[in-house]
Amino acid sequence: MTKIYGEAETKVRALDNVSFSVKKGEFVLVIGSSGSGKSTLLNMIGLLDKPTEGKVLVDGFDTSNLTDNEISTFRNKKLGFVFQFANLLADLTVLENVLLPSQIQFDSSTGDKAKEILEKVGLKDQLFKRANKISGGQAQRAAIARGLVNNPTIVLADEPTGNLDSVTAKNVIEVMKKMAKDLGQTFIVVTHERAQFGDVDRIITIKDGRAFEGEYSPELEVVA
Amino acid sequence: MDYRFHLAKRMLVNKRGSLIGAVLAVSIGILVINVNFVIFQGIYDAIIRDMSEYRFGDIYVYDEEKSTIEKSDTVLINWFERIPGVEAATPRLEASATAETRILGQQHEKFNVPVLGVDPISDIRTSTIHETVGDGQYVYARNSIVVGESVASDLGGCSRGGFFMSSGTDPTVTGDVDIGECQPVRVGDSVKLTITDQWGIDQKKRFVVTGISGTAGGQGFDRSVIIHIDTLRDMLDRSGESGSIMVRLQESASPYDAKQIKNQFLQAFPNDNLRAETIEESAESTLAGFRSGIAMINLIGYFGMGSSAFAILTIQMMLVNSKTREIGIMRAIGARRKDILIIFIMQGMIIGAMGAGAGTALGLGYTTYAKITNMEFGGSLALEVNYNWQKIGETAFIAFILAMIASIYPSYRATKKQPVEAMRAV
Repeated sequence: MTKIYGEAETKVRALDNVSFSVKKGEFVLVIGSSGSGKSTLLNMIGLLDKPTEGKVLVDGFDTSNLTDNEISTFRNKKLGFVFQFANLLADLTVLENVLLPSQIQFDSSTGDKAKEILEKVGLKDQLFKRANKISGGQAQRAAIARGLVNNPTIVLADEPTGNLDSVTAKNVIEVMKKMAKDLGQTFIVVTHERAQFGDVDRIITIKDGRAFEGEYSPELEVVA
Repeated sequence: MDYRFHLAKRMLVNKRGSLIGAVLAVSIGILVINVNFVIFQGIYDAIIRDMSEYRFGDIYVYDEEKSTIEKSDTVLINWFERIPGVEAATPRLEASATAETRILGQQHEKFNVPVLGVDPISDIRTSTIHETVGDGQYVYARNSIVVGESVASDLGGCSRGGFFMSSGTDPTVTGDVDIGECQPVRVGDSVKLTITDQWGIDQKKRFVVTGISGTAGGQGFDRSVIIHIDTLRDMLDRSGESGSIMVRLQESASPYDAKQIKNQFLQAFPNDNLRAETIEESAESTLAGFRSGIAMINLIGYFGMGSSAFAILTIQMMLVNSKTREIGIMRAIGARRKDILIIFIMQGMIIGAMGAGAGTALGLGYTTYAKITNMEFGGSLALEVNYNWQKIGETAFIAFILAMIASIYPSYRATKKQPVEAMRAV
């Protein structure tokens, strides 16, 4: 994929011929400094934005020709999102937030599954609390549960610990890894805090819009 | 429950200030229309009521070509009173006179006093004029006269302006009367009427004032005098003739019944040049201008409701802007543009429903208050207040629809927000 913003003199290559694949069940870390293009990459994979060139295939399905409604439905069924600021709806309870992705598809069968996932992430006692009444760490765990409720193909997490203190961040990372292991869930996590995540299945480094397998070193660029 | 409705409701409840403001905007719009309706439709209906009860009845019969009905009034009245639905009928005769009286040693004359001749027995069953006699009693004898309040005042020299003569001065010049010495005509006073009969000869007769008549709103005979119809017939030399027949229907009769009976009557007397009118037809010339005024006032009320719609639009725009981040989140997790549109239109519907309910309740409260207290303004006629359920329902429905329409643009704006940009909103 390539993503270019602006035109002529203001043209910026946010992503430059980025290409990789992710296997089912992998916990992939996408690292890079601020402005390197990590979030842009995640937005492309999450179908929140369209690449200037290239395409995204999920489970072998080409998403480049989907209509706006089809993209929404695809995002709902195949992708789960965890954002930096949790981004729960403050007007709803924790349980209602987690159920929201399935309610969007008018699927009322996930009630028990939502409670099960919330129990696994340690929020069994917070089900009926308003989302703006819980702590940042609790909100992030609820966001992870929301991202998992529809059994997505991939969970995309954009700086999930960026707004948390180190203890809470560690806690959230453990939850994510546990969910990946217990559910065989594929995670693509964007972060600039490599050290927080410890061992993961795979690392992709984004530097200046280009992708490198593993943690970045200048030698990788010479080889590329 | 549809999650969209649940979310719309929850968002509104958590923004109580905006919700209250929007509901108030809708309900005040409805209240203004209801108040306008109670007052102006009430005045209109009160005028019709008084014109019907004092002057025209439910059906008014007169001769199309001549000034009097030559056919015997007994025949016509008996015909009407045989019809189911008719309460009573009475003959009336009108003329013009000069009235004079002497009070406190001063003689006063008033020109062009309208004179109404009534049959006291049938008139009290057909009209309610006798109830307007606050001082004294209604006409009962051949020489009794009921004087309208304005005439009583004029004859006593208590008014300035208009045609009246005092102590022999020029009738075209108003007298310079010291109001402190004036004394309106009272019960027991003597009034002399001079009427020109059909042959052009002046007929004079002295009467005893038995009552003073006054009505709020002026639809009664405040500016007239009332005497026995037979006395007036003698003075005009029109024995057996009537100027009109006034018919009162029973309480349960509808305007449709009045039309039916009127048409029946005209078919029964096709060759007598008689014309019969319902109250709506009789009062048409008086009410036509008033109706235009009411329509204009109602229009202003609906403009007010339109302003309420703008208030809702503004409040909805604020709500959409304050929920930009939430819109982005919902789009990111799979909500379609249509879902976002529905959420905010549902908010508009909730506001509209609550506003319509509150406004209608307030309007009904005001209507009930006006009805119970026989509301009037500044001593004017009491409003004729009725619950017009069709209008109440229409107003509430229009308010609800306007609130929904006012939500369309803000809802559309909400769908335009791109998820990534929206989520960056604070």
